[in-house]
Parts: sequence; C-alpha cells; structure tokens
Amino acid sequence: MSRLSGRTAIVTGAAQGLGAVFAKALAAEGANVAVCDVMDPAPTVAAIHSAGGSALGRVTDVTDPAAVGALVAEVERRWGGIQILVNNASISGETQPKPFLEISSQEFDRMMQVNVRGFFECAKAVVPIMRRQNYGKIINLASGNFFSATPEFLHYVASKGAVIAMTRAMARACGDWGIAVNSLAPGLTMSERVSAKFAKIPERTQGIVKSQAFKRLEQPEDLVGTLIFLASADSDFITGQMLMVDGGAGMH
Amino acid sequence: MSRLSGRVVIVTGAAQGIGAVYAKGLAAEGARVSLCDLDEPQATVEAIKRGGGEALGMAADVTSPEAVEAFVRRTESSFGTVHVLVNNAAMFGSVTPKPYYEITSQEWDRMMAVNTRGVFECIKAVAPIMRRQHYGKIINISSGTTFKGTPNLLHYVASKGAVIAMTRVLAREMGDDGIAVNCIAPGLTMSEAVKGRGHSFNAQGNIASRCFKREQVPEDLVGTMVFLASADSDFMTGQTIVVDGGSALN
Repeated sequence: MSRLSGRTAIVTGAAQGLGAVFAKALAAEGANVAVCDVMDPAPTVAAIHSAGGSALGRVTDVTDPAAVGALVAEVERRWGGIQILVNNASISGETQPKPFLEISSQEFDRMMQVNVRGFFECAKAVVPIMRRQNYGKIINLASGNFFSATPEFLHYVASKGAVIAMTRAMARACGDWGIAVNSLAPGLTMSERVSAKFAKIPERTQGIVKSQAFKRLEQPEDLVGTLIFLASADSDFITGQMLMVDGGAGMH
Repeated sequence: MSRLSGRVVIVTGAAQGIGAVYAKGLAAEGARVSLCDLDEPQATVEAIKRGGGEALGMAADVTSPEAVEAFVRRTESSFGTVHVLVNNAAMFGSVTPKPYYEITSQEWDRMMAVNTRGVFECIKAVAPIMRRQHYGKIINISSGTTFKGTPNLLHYVASKGAVIAMTRVLAREMGDDGIAVNCIAPGLTMSEAVKGRGHSFNAQGNIASRCFKREQVPEDLVGTMVFLASADSDFMTGQTIVVDGGSALN
C-alpha cells in the first residue's frame, strides 16, 4: 500500500533486527528510507531496492553529532525533506544479563551514550528541518522492560526509562512546530540476536510468554502496524505518548 | 481505502457526535457497520449508505442486556458475525460540571450504569461470537480526564477510570480466545453536544495544556480508531492510547 508516499524516513540501527524490519516496512508503504547503522546497511538497502522501494544507506554512529549532521544533510539533499525519524539504534541485543553490582561504570556510560544521547543527537539534527516543514514524526524505541524491570539489565532498563521521559519532554518542546514525538515499546521480540540469546535461557523466555495475554513469542513483524501508524497522518494528534505492543504482558 | 474490508464493526452511541464520526470513518475503510443508540441512528446509517458504505441501525439501550443481546443477534443475522466492538455509548455532553458534594447518588449510579456497566453488557454479548472465530477487537473509550484528575466531573471521570481497568482485566481474560481489548482516551473533543458548552468544560484551559495548541475535533480520533479496528494492532492488547494533542502524557 502507499500510506507513506511522499514521506522520507530515517531509521537508525537498521542494518539488522527490528530496525531492518522497520526500514523495509516504511519503504513498502512508499516512504524514501535512509538506513543507518554502525554496521553495513547495504543488505537492508538492497532488500528495499529489490522490492521496488526507495532507500539509501550510510554507516553512521548516532553518538557522533558530526556524522549524524552529515547523514541528515545528505538525506535532505536527496529527497528534499524529512518527515519521520525512527530512533531505533540501541545496544541491548549483545548485552549479556549482568547482576547490578557487576555492571561497570564504563558499561553504564556506554549504554546511556548510545541509547539515550544517541536518540537526542538524531532528534536535534532533524528537528530544524521538521520545524521548517511545520510537520514531523519522531518515534523513539522504548521497551516494555520499563514496566517489568527485567532483572540483570539495570543500565538497559534505565536507558529506556530515560527514552520515555525524553519523549514527553521533546513532545512539549516541539509541539508548536507541528512535530509529534512518541515512543514505541516492544515486549520480548525475537529478532535474530534476541532469539539466539534467549534460546539459551528457555525457562525465562517461557515465563515471559506465559505473562502475555497472547501467549506466543513476539516477532518483529508484530510491531510493523504500530510503527506505520505512528509514522502516518493517522496518529497526527497523538504526541508525548508511549504505545506498548507486547501481546499484553504489561498494561499501560 | 479498504483497510477494514470484510470486517463487521459494531459502534454503540452512533446517532451523533464522536460515535457517528467513528461509524463513518470505519465504513469509509470498507467495514460493514452495525450501529445503535437510544434512538435508532437513522441519520448516520443513511449518510454511510449515501457514501457507498454498508450499515444497519437499531435502537438499543446499552444498560439493558436484553436490548444489547437483540442488537447483537440482529447484527449477526444481517452481517454473519462481529469482528470489532466499539464501546462508545456514554454520558458526557449532557452532564453539568459540579463539585463532588453536589452529585446525587442517583446521578452517580446512572453514570456508572451507562458508562461502565454498559461497556460490560456489550462485551458479554459479543464475546461468544468472537470466541467461536478465535478473533476479535474490543475498543473501549475512556477519557484524558482520568489521567489529569479533571475536577467537577467526579462520577464521569471515575466511570472512565473503571473502563481502563476493565480493558486490562478483559485483555487478560480474553487473550486465549484471540480477542484484543484496548482503549482510546480522547481529550476534550468538540462534538456538537460539547461545542456550545466549551466554557463549562474549560475548553481554553485544555487547549493551553496541549503540545498541539488547538481544539480537538472528532476527526482527530478516526485514525486511531481504524488502527485499533484493523490487523495492524493485532499484537497490542490491554493498552490505552491517549489522543489529546499531548495534554496528558501517558
């Protein structure tokens, strides 16, 4: 379908996992998509092109404001405007569960740098463009962990709590500029990295599935409908909100 | 567009106001809609048919389980099944804001009967149909006032808080049957009933408190309603989506 024709989206962390699924879905709805990651974004770009969509790829570290600025300038040059930012780049998939007292200061700082400041850098870079358009949609990836406080993930959970707070403050800051800022909170979702990790701890995985109203493993595709909703005009009067898609594990 | 083709959607309280706008928005996406209100919602049905959509209308008081049962049976016999229930019927536009100590016991009971028990009656009536097909979408309507603790409408706000709680419980109880239960919490919306009385409901204060500083109109809610009625939201359940231009940040 073409619910996003004429729109341009940036998706960070889109080389694989949820970000790749999001990038392909936005392109399938007609958006031009900039696929960014610290890893090579070419496979996602190739997949979008072979499906007939419009995309460019750029290796970008979201913690580097100069790199983010260059990315945003390239996207604007190519497609004329930027309507959608999906702040998805996060470290989590490769983070091992770690008891609270074993998390080092460096690990804590790194988590906050990527998961919180990275979102901030990308938003700062696109907001002037969105403000000129008097229109924009910023979608921050949060997590159902904010409610369940998954054990042995303190720094990750804290980073996602910060994302939710930042979503609200950004919504207030950008409201007069026609920019909606919302967060999307997945439950335990079986991306490649997460599946591999949780295959090693089946009792914990089963425990999470049993806590859901819909008792099956969540797949990245389960999030697509809500992502498209938040990227489209259908959600234009929604801002500062957190939408949780987790099969009803947490209730918000 | 046709995001809801093949779906049968019930909307209660569809004679006017936001309910009528929901009904038209759902029909425009290809849903067959079955509408009820205290008086048969003829005008809404006719407007939908003039636009090329399919609709039926019936008088039904949501506080009467017999009336609700008859309405659901009529829906099933005309359209074959029910996929989506929109629990929109509620008292609000006609309510006079007043301090909590001036609300009578009868007013309290009446508000709870319509806004809270009415939701329960409708869900009970459609549940067997949704269970048989192992699929359903229940969309309840709460209110942004629940998050804000808006004064001078205690019985109304309490009734809408109950709707959020019911949404969560029923999501858990109905999950194994493939039924998703979610809720929309609108901000103060300029339906016909409210428009003339904006001052009573602190319309200016509401606008000033929003990120998007303008009046909310019923059309602002349609995108979210279509989303929750469609397959796009199938893995979302037990959730409340606040649509109010960013006044209550949930």
